[in-house]
Amino acid sequence: MIELYALTDHPAPSLPDGASLSTVAHAGLAFVWGPAPTPTELSPELLWRHEELLEKLMEDRDILPVRYGTRLPDEAAAAWALCERHHELALALDRVRGAVELSVRVIGTEREPPPADGMSGTEYLRAREQTSTARASALRTVHEPLSLSARASSERAPRAAGELVRAAYLVDREAVQEFAATVTRLQAAHPRLRLLCTGPWPPYSFSET
Amino acid sequence: MRDKLLHAPPDLDLFATDRPRLDQALTRRVNADPESVERGLAQLVLTIVELLRQLMERQALRRVDGGTLNEDQVERLGHTFMELDKRMAELREEFGLDQDDLNLNLGPLGNLL
Repeated sequence: MIELYALTDHPAPSLPDGASLSTVAHAGLAFVWGPAPTPTELSPELLWRHEELLEKLMEDRDILPVRYGTRLPDEAAAAWALCERHHELALALDRVRGAVELSVRVIGTEREPPPADGMSGTEYLRAREQTSTARASALRTVHEPLSLSARASSERAPRAAGELVRAAYLVDREAVQEFAATVTRLQAAHPRLRLLCTGPWPPYSFSET
Repeated sequence: MRDKLLHAPPDLDLFATDRPRLDQALTRRVNADPESVERGLAQLVLTIVELLRQLMERQALRRVDGGTLNEDQVERLGHTFMELDKRMAELREEFGLDQDDLNLNLGPLGNLL
């Protein structure tokens, strides 16, 4: 079994040393693959290793990360997949060419009380309304201006308590510092919010074909 | 991780609340046993219920804002949504799902919720 890591252009710079990676190429595109770890070995450490390899690849080439855990029987199967889906894969790689993913999370410091036992129905509805107003406002004041500085953006449902925005942005490599500076400016303009911006990441949120 | 911080507030700990999920997310994706098939079905059903819950809640908030409901009605409505929320949390827990799992990717249309 082999595990796919990413789609890249072909030819591309040589693969990083010591990572036991190989490529299979067809008509200008290549899959980077490695031997699949056996299922019992799966762990957060392996996930981080996978991430590290992608980041190394990302340093000197454009990559479209393949969904984690994508396995194929052998190199021939990877070549076949590349051949069969060549057109859509090429388009998907074009979409992220020259760009990286930045992630932004926004938390409100004025925490709404979590729905608790003993809360009345009216209080509950009021709390829900406050949350939804706070989210709408954070989307308007933070997400919208950031979307304008990005090639594409993807907003997801907040997950943690107090979280108002969880979004990913596809940003041109040379615009990363400028984007970070925009985040810093937005933070200064909205002292009641807390903004966290991380990256650059492989364009995970923009890899749908 | 430090070198990945492009902008971080001084009180960074605020963001560190949902870390344990990495482990869960991983084991979840790779198992294809019967139990996870059942979970997949539960995930689909709960996603639809969550969609309805959110639509109804939005509608309810609009009616409360519109001022067409009396205090009793608002209280009853709020109580119903609170119970529904609690019950949903129990069901998510039972099937090992979290809020983020209750969604569907509709391709070019984006996410359902």
